[in-house]
Amino acid sequence: MDALAALTQGLAVALQPMNLLFALIGVLLGTAVGVLPGIGPALTVALLLPITFKLDPAGSLIMFAGIYYGGMYGGSTTAILINTPGESASLATAIEGNKMAKAGRGGPALATAAIGSFAAGTLATIGIVFLAPWLVRIAVQFGPEDYFALMCVAFITVSATFGNSPVRGLTSLFIGLTLGLVGIDRLTGQARLGFGVPELLDGVEITTLAVGLFAVGEALYVASRRLHHQETLEPVRGSLWMTLDDWRRSWKPWLRGALFGFPIGALPAGGAEIPTFLSYATERRLSKHPEEFGKGAIEGVAGPEAANNASAAGTLVPLLTLGLPTSATAAMMLAGFQQYGLNPGPLLFAERPDLVWGLIASLFIANAMLLVLNLPLVGVWVRLLAIPQPWLYAGILVFATMGTIAAKPQVIELTMLAAFGVLGFLMRRFDYPIAPVVIGLILGPVAESQLRRALSISLGDPLALVQSPISATLLALAVVALIAPFTLRGLARFKADAD
Amino acid sequence: MSTNRARRADTAGFVIAGLLLALALVIVWDLSNLRITSVYGLGPEAMPVVVAAGLVLLAAGNAAMAYKGELPAREPVDIRAIVLILGGLVALIALIGLGGGFIPATAILFAATATAFGRRAILVDLVIGLVLAVAVYLLFAKLLTLSLPVGLIERLI
Amino acid sequence: MSQATGWMWQTLVVAALAAVVTPALAQLELRVMAPAAPGGGWDQTARSMQQALVASGAAKSVQVVNVPGAGGSIGLAQLVNSGKGDGRLLMVNGLVMVGALLANRSPVRLDQATPIARLTEESQVIVVPVNSPIKNIPDLAAAVKANPARVTWAGGSAGGVDHITAALFAKAGNADATKINYIPFSGGGESLAAILGGKVTAGISGYGEYEGQIKAGKLRAIGVTSANPLPGVDVPTVKSQGIDLVIANWRSVMAAPGITAEQRKALVDAVDKMAKSTAWRDVLKQKGWSDAYLSGDAFAAFLGREQTRVRDVLISVGLVKP
Repeated sequence: MDALAALTQGLAVALQPMNLLFALIGVLLGTAVGVLPGIGPALTVALLLPITFKLDPAGSLIMFAGIYYGGMYGGSTTAILINTPGESASLATAIEGNKMAKAGRGGPALATAAIGSFAAGTLATIGIVFLAPWLVRIAVQFGPEDYFALMCVAFITVSATFGNSPVRGLTSLFIGLTLGLVGIDRLTGQARLGFGVPELLDGVEITTLAVGLFAVGEALYVASRRLHHQETLEPVRGSLWMTLDDWRRSWKPWLRGALFGFPIGALPAGGAEIPTFLSYATERRLSKHPEEFGKGAIEGVAGPEAANNASAAGTLVPLLTLGLPTSATAAMMLAGFQQYGLNPGPLLFAERPDLVWGLIASLFIANAMLLVLNLPLVGVWVRLLAIPQPWLYAGILVFATMGTIAAKPQVIELTMLAAFGVLGFLMRRFDYPIAPVVIGLILGPVAESQLRRALSISLGDPLALVQSPISATLLALAVVALIAPFTLRGLARFKADAD
Repeated sequence: MSTNRARRADTAGFVIAGLLLALALVIVWDLSNLRITSVYGLGPEAMPVVVAAGLVLLAAGNAAMAYKGELPAREPVDIRAIVLILGGLVALIALIGLGGGFIPATAILFAATATAFGRRAILVDLVIGLVLAVAVYLLFAKLLTLSLPVGLIERLI
Repeated sequence: MSQATGWMWQTLVVAALAAVVTPALAQLELRVMAPAAPGGGWDQTARSMQQALVASGAAKSVQVVNVPGAGGSIGLAQLVNSGKGDGRLLMVNGLVMVGALLANRSPVRLDQATPIARLTEESQVIVVPVNSPIKNIPDLAAAVKANPARVTWAGGSAGGVDHITAALFAKAGNADATKINYIPFSGGGESLAAILGGKVTAGISGYGEYEGQIKAGKLRAIGVTSANPLPGVDVPTVKSQGIDLVIANWRSVMAAPGITAEQRKALVDAVDKMAKSTAWRDVLKQKGWSDAYLSGDAFAAFLGREQTRVRDVLISVGLVKP
């Protein structure tokens, strides 16, 4: 069937009033839970499954898609406003976004996030329509050695978050890598750094670390300096909306973000975090205002936000074409399909085109709905910063602990949250960058298991790591990315001398 | 270590270096707990060894920075605020651990934090915290059927 | 914003519940613990039980509690310690927990809890990429016997059902189970991609997870691990191809230790009633689970046999010290 004709039919399904209502409920619910750290779209869909199976399949799947996208939006709103990334995919957004909000530029930050998510989400959805079958063939060819190479590229980009001292940055990264060792080793099933505590066997939860370091650490730091260093928060300084300059600086990062997010999201083990970091590092390197990075550069919000929404759409590629759930939310959506006796996979497009195309069309609609809902709300969200400081931070701590309580109501988990808060406080006090810790925790275990899988398949032959064309290309890219800054600097000096 | 106010003599920096070294030692010590090491390819000990080695190098790097006095200047700390917030968190953890329930735990954390930020109306803040907690509790426990820790107050709702 | 959501949601929930709930006569108020995060197999089982227990009138109300962590070890510890003597508490578990408790050197043991009933089971399937030279189980067994290192298996977590299946396969084929090259992947999706991409020799998973791929001809299923062929599935059993391997990923329900005989009987009766109800049959059909109901002492005996078997296997792959 012609993709466009099918899509038109899908739009007809998605535009039915009932389905529009489901999409609306989905995006609202998704935004609400996305705001809460630790409670993501996956958990929400899981809790709703038993209730929704009485609804018709199209309606509930459309609602799930709305929850997925809504969750992505909600996560970035809190990341920008209160420095509390609701999902690990909004981590990169928090780095620049919160700096912007503190400087009274929360409005443009939220707007570029919303519009960037919309643009990238829409582009990625078009990508699903036209590229899905082709993309998925490549995605399946990605072996462990290729993922390891991709991780190498991602590791290079971490340096973008280091600040001004490589030693401090690497120290942060290695603390993160150490935390990544905690728990059961994925390849042999043995505990590492478990200290006999069963709660530690599952490893350190990314959201617990991120919320502890970012939100709790920040609250402690601001409180500790309150008497000597009054933090003045202005909800709005300058324009509430994006200025012409903001637009000029945002549109390219949106597009590049979508280009990172969609294909990597479509990889079975790609995830949403890596494209956001890649996007952040790229924008930092390409920006005409590199001096603003670390102080609130709009490119650093636009790019990662676009990337994370595009990757959400990307994960639907293997789900719809192969029945491969590649994220927790996708896995729950798969369970949703199966509830109706539907098996996503090669046959679904042929057996239930109405459903598949209805779902794809509803992605467009969910995206548009989120934009329409979120843009007018920017003014309201920003006013949150006008709440008196004691209540604002008290509220932030309540939110931060609530996510953990809801997801894992265990004393050990909450103690870890508090401990990470103290760590975040000390790191701020001694000027160590925060983000590399979380990046180390995310990338370390993945890089390790992919490397070991690759070597296990090759029976220990390290040549296997460079024999695949994909991994060879990516590793070459990593080397270039590592060397380029030095050579470029040398070249610039050479040019300056020549002049 | 946060009370160190000296500008040049950076004991704090050496403490940080020492902690990194200790972390490396813990990782190496932990390796003795592994039973399977020889699978095909790399074993589970490879990554910890790399991380521990990196930590040792970074301990040296941080010590060098401390020696040269490259740590940033620190402002005096309002210990009272830190104690209040951490106290609020400890109270929350204790209440949840001992079955006091989600609502009072959250209300206490809210009030403690607000006080840490200079508010002097602890009763009002407790009430605000309670209202907030009840609203959240209703949303999650009743609508999403998520099991939040239950104590006396939660049983009444 | 969340209030508006809440209101809308409440309307929806009430409407849905009104359709599901039938008048309940029983007075039993139960809590069912899923020793895992929301969304997984145990959680879905617990939530389905919640529906069916209430709809069949076996219980007046049922609350689901999630206690995630360490393959269910944390949930079991809670059942055994703080749940002691609680006659209204049930916990969902399964074969995965048996392995996890051994591998994690858990201080609590499964035989400390009170067995109630086995509910469902799912057969495992062994697949190879479509262009693989391996056509059937004897081919694969021969390859494993010739050089176990060269045969790479993709499956779920180390020490889990897939890993146990691979080790039992090697053992049954008289190969060296300690030498199997088993590669654990994080989720069903990731291991499936590795098989589709031809990165590994063979893959193991629950049948349901690969059903779509097998039917679409993207994977070659060479054997299912059930004792008899699965109804409506055109894949021969492993056993019928000369390798004596029968294993199913079962899920069951347990109660707290230290409960009285009457309390245990009341719980078994309630679960019995639920298992016979149409509500439960609907759940099974909808989720694609096969019924494996076995309650009381017969289940306790089955549990004992499985524990011995899993322990032996995990010792042979080196995860557990003898």
